[in-house]
Amino acid sequence: MLKTTPFHERTSALCVSHAWRRWAGYVVASSYELSHEREYHAIRAAAALFDVSPLYKYSVRGKHAARLLDRVVTRNVLGAQVGQVLYTPWCDAAGKVIDDGTVARLGEDEFRMTAAEPNLRWLEANALGLQVTIEDVSASIAALSLQGPCSLAILKELGEIPPLKYFRLAQATLRGIPVTLTRTGYTGDLGFEIWVDRDKALPLWDALIVAGTPYGIQPAGMLALDVARLEAGLMLIDVDYVPANKALIEGQKSSPYELDLAWAVNLDKPHFVGRQALAAEKVRGPQWQFSGVEIGWEGLERLYADVGLATRLPATAWRASVPIYSGVEQVGYATSGGWSPLLKKYVTLAHLRAAWARPGTQLDMEVTVEHRRKRAAARVVKKPFFDPERKRA
Amino acid sequence: MNVVVLGSGTDALVAGHLLARAGHRVTLLNEGLTGAKADDGWVAPAILEALGLGIQSGWADPWASVLLADGGTLDLWQDMTRTVESLRRVSPRDAGKWPDFCQRMAALASVFEEMYAKPPVNPMDVGLAVRVRRLGRQGMEDLMRVLPMPVAELLDDWFECDALKGALGAMGILHLQQGPRSAGTAFRLLHHHVGSPPGVFRPPRSNLGALLRASAAVETRAAAVARINVREGRVAGVVLASGEEMEAALVVSSLDPRRTLLELADAGWLDPQLARAVSHLRRRGVAARLFFKGQPQSLVVAPSLDYLERAYDDAKHGRVSSAPYLEARAVDNGTEVHFQYTPYAGGREIAEATRRLLPGLADAEPSVLGPRELEAREGWPEGQAYHVELALDQALWMRPLPQLAHYRTPIEGLWLCGPGMHPGGGIAGAAGFNCVRALLSHLSKRGKPPA
Amino acid sequence: MKPYDAVIVGGGHNGLVCAAYLARAGKRVVVLERRERVGGAAMSEEVFPGFRFSVFSYVVSLLRPEIIRDLELPRHGLHILPLESTLTPLVNGDYLAQWNDHDQNRRELARHSLRDAEAYDEFGLVLHQMARLIKPMLRMAPPDPASLHPRELLDTLNLGRYFRKLDKKDFNALWKLLTMSSADYLDEWFETEALKATKAASGIIGTLLGPRSPGTAYVLLHHYMGELDGVFRAWGFAKGGNGSVSAAIAASAQAAGAEIRTGAPVAQILIERERAVGAVLEGGEEVRGRIVVSSADPRRTFMDLVGESHLPEEFAAAIRRFRFRGASAKVNLALGELPSFTCLPGRGPHLRGAVSISPSIAYLERAYDEGKYGEFSRRPYMDIVIPSMLDPGMAPPGKHVMSIFVQYAPYHLAGGWTDERREALGDAVVDTLAEYAPNLKSAILHRQVITPADIERIIGLSEGNIFQGELSLHQMFFLRPAPAWSRYRAPIEGLWQCGSGTHPGGGVMGASGRNAAFRILGRRA
Repeated sequence: MLKTTPFHERTSALCVSHAWRRWAGYVVASSYELSHEREYHAIRAAAALFDVSPLYKYSVRGKHAARLLDRVVTRNVLGAQVGQVLYTPWCDAAGKVIDDGTVARLGEDEFRMTAAEPNLRWLEANALGLQVTIEDVSASIAALSLQGPCSLAILKELGEIPPLKYFRLAQATLRGIPVTLTRTGYTGDLGFEIWVDRDKALPLWDALIVAGTPYGIQPAGMLALDVARLEAGLMLIDVDYVPANKALIEGQKSSPYELDLAWAVNLDKPHFVGRQALAAEKVRGPQWQFSGVEIGWEGLERLYADVGLATRLPATAWRASVPIYSGVEQVGYATSGGWSPLLKKYVTLAHLRAAWARPGTQLDMEVTVEHRRKRAAARVVKKPFFDPERKRA
Repeated sequence: MNVVVLGSGTDALVAGHLLARAGHRVTLLNEGLTGAKADDGWVAPAILEALGLGIQSGWADPWASVLLADGGTLDLWQDMTRTVESLRRVSPRDAGKWPDFCQRMAALASVFEEMYAKPPVNPMDVGLAVRVRRLGRQGMEDLMRVLPMPVAELLDDWFECDALKGALGAMGILHLQQGPRSAGTAFRLLHHHVGSPPGVFRPPRSNLGALLRASAAVETRAAAVARINVREGRVAGVVLASGEEMEAALVVSSLDPRRTLLELADAGWLDPQLARAVSHLRRRGVAARLFFKGQPQSLVVAPSLDYLERAYDDAKHGRVSSAPYLEARAVDNGTEVHFQYTPYAGGREIAEATRRLLPGLADAEPSVLGPRELEAREGWPEGQAYHVELALDQALWMRPLPQLAHYRTPIEGLWLCGPGMHPGGGIAGAAGFNCVRALLSHLSKRGKPPA
Repeated sequence: MKPYDAVIVGGGHNGLVCAAYLARAGKRVVVLERRERVGGAAMSEEVFPGFRFSVFSYVVSLLRPEIIRDLELPRHGLHILPLESTLTPLVNGDYLAQWNDHDQNRRELARHSLRDAEAYDEFGLVLHQMARLIKPMLRMAPPDPASLHPRELLDTLNLGRYFRKLDKKDFNALWKLLTMSSADYLDEWFETEALKATKAASGIIGTLLGPRSPGTAYVLLHHYMGELDGVFRAWGFAKGGNGSVSAAIAASAQAAGAEIRTGAPVAQILIERERAVGAVLEGGEEVRGRIVVSSADPRRTFMDLVGESHLPEEFAAAIRRFRFRGASAKVNLALGELPSFTCLPGRGPHLRGAVSISPSIAYLERAYDEGKYGEFSRRPYMDIVIPSMLDPGMAPPGKHVMSIFVQYAPYHLAGGWTDERREALGDAVVDTLAEYAPNLKSAILHRQVITPADIERIIGLSEGNIFQGELSLHQMFFLRPAPAWSRYRAPIEGLWQCGSGTHPGGGVMGASGRNAAFRILGRRA
């Protein structure tokens, strides 16, 4: 049997599409409506509400809590302020990414970590000899993500919201319900994630829906989220990279540098897991680069025109491995892609050999047109594809 | 440069003296321990050569007097023909097989003898393959078959006399939480045979430790270490229990690897996978050491393989063996008894069972050191004399772990050399010798070390 | 009569596999089976009216997929139904279930231990890697590393090269698996007793060893071996019972022209001028062939059918010391209704999988303690399946057959096996199981108890060892069954071996029969 999230009573009533999918052992909605289109547009135009409870959450407390996390992740946790949230990858000793998530400093000696995969054993293995309590709070804390330009206005309807900068957190009370708010999300838009005790989950959901309805709030599923995260250039574990502890061969593993996360690797820290390997890689330069690649419209249109068809576009964001060529040589592969309804562009996230990763580089991507493999002209572009001011404002 | 050597055993002494001879300023911190008796064992000639020492070494003769069911003893002598005579009285068949058995085992042990005075070789090493082939068909077959075998099956293949099999089988289980029917124990019989002449299956004793302890070449302090200071991945020195700090560019530890790496140094410097593996090292203490004042006595109580196996059954379920394996040895003013098996916190039943089995021991208040006491007294983790159980998965190139087998640790300047390292307990000083050789060769390759 | 190309002694699954491959290569082959039916231990029988049982071996674990493909076994009636789960009922009324679905399994494990749920995936990954390394060895004829023959030398070198090419880390991980006890190995990964015990149980099956005995860890690999062949958890039932595995192989062999004679007990392997030239049946009939291939176990083949006088002394000594020590028994029950487990009452998906009575390592180890000294376990380890749940044809409608694999029931029982001891064993099994499923006793319509002595008597496996010889490290690979004779040959010209007593042996795998056939045909697998 699969698990249901604390919001299931509400989400199941709303999910008229009956389109469910698995996420970390839970069932979550792929889309609530028959098509995910309105849910996507709510992210960019109003506010979308996602149930993100299946995320793994760890409470890390104690005298050495900061030291432990600083040792585990690639960013500087010791230097983080109380109230700060860090997005960060973490690596094995060979400097290959195991997972990525956030580390929120709730207090001097208290942190909450989110992860896509279970990490209790890894945290414990790193905590040998440290005074720290690590607790898996995945099931006891429910989480919602409220994303979109109206998200702040909706929250303000429900209570006093302290000014909250990008990647900061605050404790707040929404209609009498104590929550932790973080200004984070997976859409690349203005947005918040709301963390709440699981027994307060339903009243919180109801309050948000009531307050949000005048603002066009829309419960949204994974399909809409996938399009938004693609536009935002955000990578997804198991799709865009294979976590090092699940990789079957070396070639499947990626370093933070190869995933375009150089900014998140703090080599000034004297020690963290993977530091030595990463320092060496930095000198050497990474072999791969995780890049944005845009398929040109004209080329695509011509390929379809050649067989007498109008251009066909994927209805949802895809997750597959698609070869990318420079001339006859394969120089990379795209792992996520799709049509951006907002940008009117066919965008993909791709792993490119470093020499071909400079923005502007002309490449060819494989597309299948009427059962035949063709190559469409594509171009390396900077990520994120969509980066509104309001995200950080 | 300043070198701190941790530990009190032969490995620490050998390492300290060799480093001193190489021109380093060595301080040995022995925690106030006077030296573990389990360090006794074969001393490789290469060690003596390197130290420029001559030692006295040898076995008791008979090397074992094995208690028989009828109350008599079976005496096993250094002289093979005398042993054959003894055996003839209990089993003419076994007497006939004894010389052949001894030759076959000696041939196998000789392979290990060569391997033990060197850092461990990878099993895929070509040189090793060539050496093994030199054993000839018989020897190769023996080696392949015997290594992974239970010592009980090996001995059952050869002999019928229970007492003989018990006395030999005991070397397969010495200081191990396994019984003679456990696979891999035949290897341990060979391990404990290394360095002994054919027909002698008890490690020798020598005065190596005493000679080195008496020497003034190495400054020795009766201090315990509380922490190994590491800065930026490199050893900076040690902090003593008293709080005193000592600077050192090199720390060579003969303490057990788990304590050295996870407790004294900061586990955070290790790959978490390695730290986890180190924390999994098996090191269960299984033996007690008793001392009875009065009439010295030497006797082996291991009347059969089943007897040993039953003694182990108790241990498996967390009990003191009601009928334990005993090895009583006459010492200066009394009798020292090795008692196996007992769990970590063994109680009064240890002394009681010993007295019941060895009624000749008169002392009503013997000293009894169980694993817990041995841990405190000798620094044996969990009471395990070999620091890391010597089982096939923790032996040779796997000792204590493949990543650490070459005595070097991921912390620059921190080296391991105790019985927990190759070749392991029961072989005197070889780990210390191998470690220092690896260390010196590392230093010379690296060029001039930073001050 | 014109001699056959090959006379195959014994119609067990390995003999049949070997016959089928030889026949398909155009050889004239005859299989001589003592009993009235083929199959050896892989045999189905209507033991009680309306109730069919896989009397001895009861699951298909590692039947090599290439054999299923090569011999077109599905065309000859083979259908393997996968087992879905393993349920371990616990003494406290709870249970531990292992499911094929990853999420469902994780959730169940997390109920017992979050760490174990997490470790499970990593553990699976490591074992998957190890299984991948071991797999090529299954189809290998192990060379003789002591030989100076150029061919053997070359093969030894190739084998060495294979291992040298391996990542050192992988080689060491493999070494650990080969030398450790399953209890110690699993202790490094898990903390839930029932999980460790149930996994460890796979390492003790068929062997007189306990979970704390070194050398039992590597069998953990077997569960992961199947995945590599594209068969997720390759454990399952053959539709119609394990007899249909043999029947399908026999049909395939016959379709290729092999002759199968049942009721043809071989009394002796005929040796003329130091060469095996055929078999003499008990009635005195001589069946001659260019070669003789024995699928009987090494002791039966060499000590009984060939005779020590024809063997070099060293080889005879090696065969004499080859250890069998059967340790397991089988209890087959005809049930009027399904068992209802206290921990999961009523009918449910758990009854479509295996039920393992292995609540803790200490429980298994205590069971072993008794077995070790020649007693059967009063509280035995049991592996239980209800084939009629997946294959209703095995029992009358609404009724069921239950197959219980029992350990430890040592062949060398103190005082020997008698009818009384056999029934006492049956009682111990039923009593133990009834503690977890109280309606069991009233549900039993018929009971069949098979001891290792029965296994030896009925199907001729020495000491009732189900693997034709213990699968311990010193009886494996180039030591199986004897050094220098691990390549399916024997020290007598024209005599070959193809039973489980040769590499790789074990279970209804068929690899020994196939490897031997390839060797005989001079082909590389």
